[in-house]
Amino acid sequence: MNQMESSIQYNYEYEEDEYMIQEDEWDRDMLLDPAWEKQQRKTFTAWCNSHLRKAGTQIENIEEDFRNGLKLMLLLEVISGERLPKPDRGKMRFHKIANVNKALDFIASKGVKLVSIGAEEIVDGNVKMTLGMIWTIILRFAIQDISVEETSAKEGLLLCWKDGLALCALIHRHRPDLIDYSKLTKDDPLGNLNLAMDVAEKHLDIPKMLDAEDIVNTPKPDERAIMTYVSCFYHAFAGAEQAETAANRICKVLAVNQENERMMEEYERLLLEWIRRTIPWLENRTPERTMQTMQKKLEDFRDYRRKHKPPKVQEKCQLEINFNTLQTKLRISNRPAFMPSEGKMVSDIASALQRLEQAEKGYEEWLLNEIRRLERLEHLAEKFRQKAGSHETWAYGKEQILQQKDYESASLTDIRALLRKHEAFESDLAAHQDRVEQIAAIAQELNELDYHDAASVNDRCQKICDQWDRLGTITQKRREALERTEKLLETIDQLHLEFAKRAAPFNNWMEGAMEDLQDMFIVHSVEEIQSLITAHEQFKATLHEADGERQAILSIHNEVEKVIQSYSLRISSNNPYSTLSLDEIRAKWDKVKQLVPLRDQSLQEELARQHSNERLRRQFAAQANVIGPWIQNKMEEISRSSVEMTGPLEDQMNQLKQHEHNIINYKSNIDKLEGDHQVIQEALVFDNKHTNYTMEHIRVGWELLLTTIARTINEIENQILTRDAKGITQEQMNEFRASFNHFDRKKNGLMDHDDFRACLISMGYDLGEAEFARIMSLVDPNGQGTVSFQSFIDFMTRETADTDTAEQVIASFRILASDKAYILAEELRRELPSEQAQYCIKRMPPYRGPGAVPGALDYTSFSSALYGESDL
Amino acid sequence: ICVYLEVLLQGGAPWGFTLKGGLEHGEPLIISKIEEGGKADLLNSKLQAGDEVVNINEVELSSSRREAISLVKGSYKNLKLVVRR
Repeated sequence: MNQMESSIQYNYEYEEDEYMIQEDEWDRDMLLDPAWEKQQRKTFTAWCNSHLRKAGTQIENIEEDFRNGLKLMLLLEVISGERLPKPDRGKMRFHKIANVNKALDFIASKGVKLVSIGAEEIVDGNVKMTLGMIWTIILRFAIQDISVEETSAKEGLLLCWKDGLALCALIHRHRPDLIDYSKLTKDDPLGNLNLAMDVAEKHLDIPKMLDAEDIVNTPKPDERAIMTYVSCFYHAFAGAEQAETAANRICKVLAVNQENERMMEEYERLLLEWIRRTIPWLENRTPERTMQTMQKKLEDFRDYRRKHKPPKVQEKCQLEINFNTLQTKLRISNRPAFMPSEGKMVSDIASALQRLEQAEKGYEEWLLNEIRRLERLEHLAEKFRQKAGSHETWAYGKEQILQQKDYESASLTDIRALLRKHEAFESDLAAHQDRVEQIAAIAQELNELDYHDAASVNDRCQKICDQWDRLGTITQKRREALERTEKLLETIDQLHLEFAKRAAPFNNWMEGAMEDLQDMFIVHSVEEIQSLITAHEQFKATLHEADGERQAILSIHNEVEKVIQSYSLRISSNNPYSTLSLDEIRAKWDKVKQLVPLRDQSLQEELARQHSNERLRRQFAAQANVIGPWIQNKMEEISRSSVEMTGPLEDQMNQLKQHEHNIINYKSNIDKLEGDHQVIQEALVFDNKHTNYTMEHIRVGWELLLTTIARTINEIENQILTRDAKGITQEQMNEFRASFNHFDRKKNGLMDHDDFRACLISMGYDLGEAEFARIMSLVDPNGQGTVSFQSFIDFMTRETADTDTAEQVIASFRILASDKAYILAEELRRELPSEQAQYCIKRMPPYRGPGAVPGALDYTSFSSALYGESDL
Repeated sequence: ICVYLEVLLQGGAPWGFTLKGGLEHGEPLIISKIEEGGKADLLNSKLQAGDEVVNINEVELSSSRREAISLVKGSYKNLKLVVRR
């Protein structure tokens, strides 16, 4: 207690040390008087509540309700007018400790050192600690400021309560209107105290924090409680004291407040109006046409967000702050709260702003969607333009081209080319189907997306589609027309080909026929002309068939004409496969027909001629066949008579003469034949199968006959002469004759060299070339190459004239050889004429017998050879 | 009676006989002379004058002396004769 008294020496000027000392003395062990605790508790609770009620809360139990620190923090906020850090909202112990620490930190920050107070004690609900803490707070925030003129705080605060008038006097001094002091007595301290406390509660907004009875009846009421309660009065009066001097200030403040209010209202009004204006703008959903305009809108919106709205938000915040400040100030100064006019409440503003924000969001969304939409639309619209454009370019002029009637005057190859071109076009068309569909699809989408110019798009699309349909139809029609025309042209082509294939051979046939019909014939017999006539008849038989072919060919041509006309084709009917015209064919056919009878005629004429020739031939033949053999016969007779050697030459002669006579008589036949031959020759007949004898034969034969007979007769004559001259016997003559005839191989009364040589050899002559030549020169002095019988006889007779036998000749030679068996050449030369000697030297073989010497010649074999003996 | 005789002469010409006659002369082809000591004379079966030659070296004669002479002269070392007597 002493310590307490001594310590209660307050300086109303704030001195830190004392407070420190004050705090040091708070010792947990030094318990408060329970009565004082009770009083303090009540008073402090009431004091806290007088502030907490401004924040809309109360405490019931001072050591309990501050345990979690939340109300503690709140209290500090209210009484300081400052914001504390955000309390932890947990229920755990450490949360509570944290909160209490925040409160304690705040207190510390206001220059109060809380050495012995820990957050845990408060959280644990330590009454003394809690009360101590509250007292510290009260001291700092409520009492410290008080400057009672010339009065120590304590004195000022610790009034004499005994009579209870102190408080009333205090009240009356500052607010005479509240208490009529003159009416008060000392006698009723309780009554006076109660009155003061009531008045304070009613008019000064100071709640009863003390019990009047406690105060009056307690000798030493709790000083802290009293100080606390009285401090409130001073606070209340502090303001009131300065009321007059501060009246203007207050008025100014009020005016300022009023002004603030007015401005706020104005702000509110403006803000709300701005909001009200802005919201429709944000709610505007008129679509734009282009992305640019939309993007401009977006930019405007962004500008709005960046530039225009923030200040407004600021305004709103400011408004709120101002509003709150105003409210607080008003509340603190016990003024009624500021009530904005209807519809301008903070909540209205807040909700308006909320709507604004909603509208903004909506607007932004809408803007972005629209931009996307427009982007897509622009993209699509461009795509549409491109595709439509390219399609239109492609389709341009195609209708006209397809409707051309170019096929009407086309040839088959042309048509085929047109068909192929058309096929290619059809492919192209099919390929474009997709594109048209795409164009339509894009148009559709543009419609769905509500393109601003959908109408023109649709229009263009429709045009394209209509044209497409038309193209399809026209294409089909053209195809049909082309195919139809192709078929017709093919048919015509076939006909042309047929025509060509038949007309050409027919033409050839006609040409051949014309040639044949005009063919110069050379016939040599009736059979030949007959066969020509037969051939001609056969030919005539084929004419009917040929005419049929001609008709057929003609009909083919007519067929072509018909097709061309009935289908109105504008093509020429010229045949590409044939250059033959109908006129040509007709002309040739007429010619053929013309030539036939002419041929008949000439054939018949020829036939007649051939018949007459035949007659001539026969006539000639008949004669020749008689004359020829006759001549031959005669020749044989003549040769036979010369070959047969029976009888004397005179008989032969007679025979021959007889023959000659016959021959002469026969001449007339020859002449007649010649006459016939002439006629035949003039008729140009050069052959005659009826006879092997030609006129030449006969002529030659006749000539030969004449010469033969003459010659033979001559020969006989000569023979006769020779015989007579040389004295050759008939037998010798016959022998010579036989020999000659034998070697006369050609049987023409003459021997040629070889015949003669053979003859000599047969007679034993062994002749060398020189010897033979010598003999030839003898027998054929004229070099004719032939040996006549006469010459032969001459030769033979000469050679054998003097001797009969070989022996005689041998004997003659022996004499010449001086009886040697051989003879020498010199001996021969000596004895015989040189010619004959030479002949013998040449002819005589060498002697090879006994006693032979060189140059010995064998005259024996030589001689016997001469005589038809051959020594072998 | 006709007798045929075949002889073979060897050694080459001269053979030692003489041919006379022949078809050319209208006579048969006769051996007219046999030379003494000639090859024809030295045969075992002698040839005689008057033999008619009908075959020389297997060739039947046509009685032509020319032919016969040619055949004889054509023989080199061997000469075969057939005569008729």
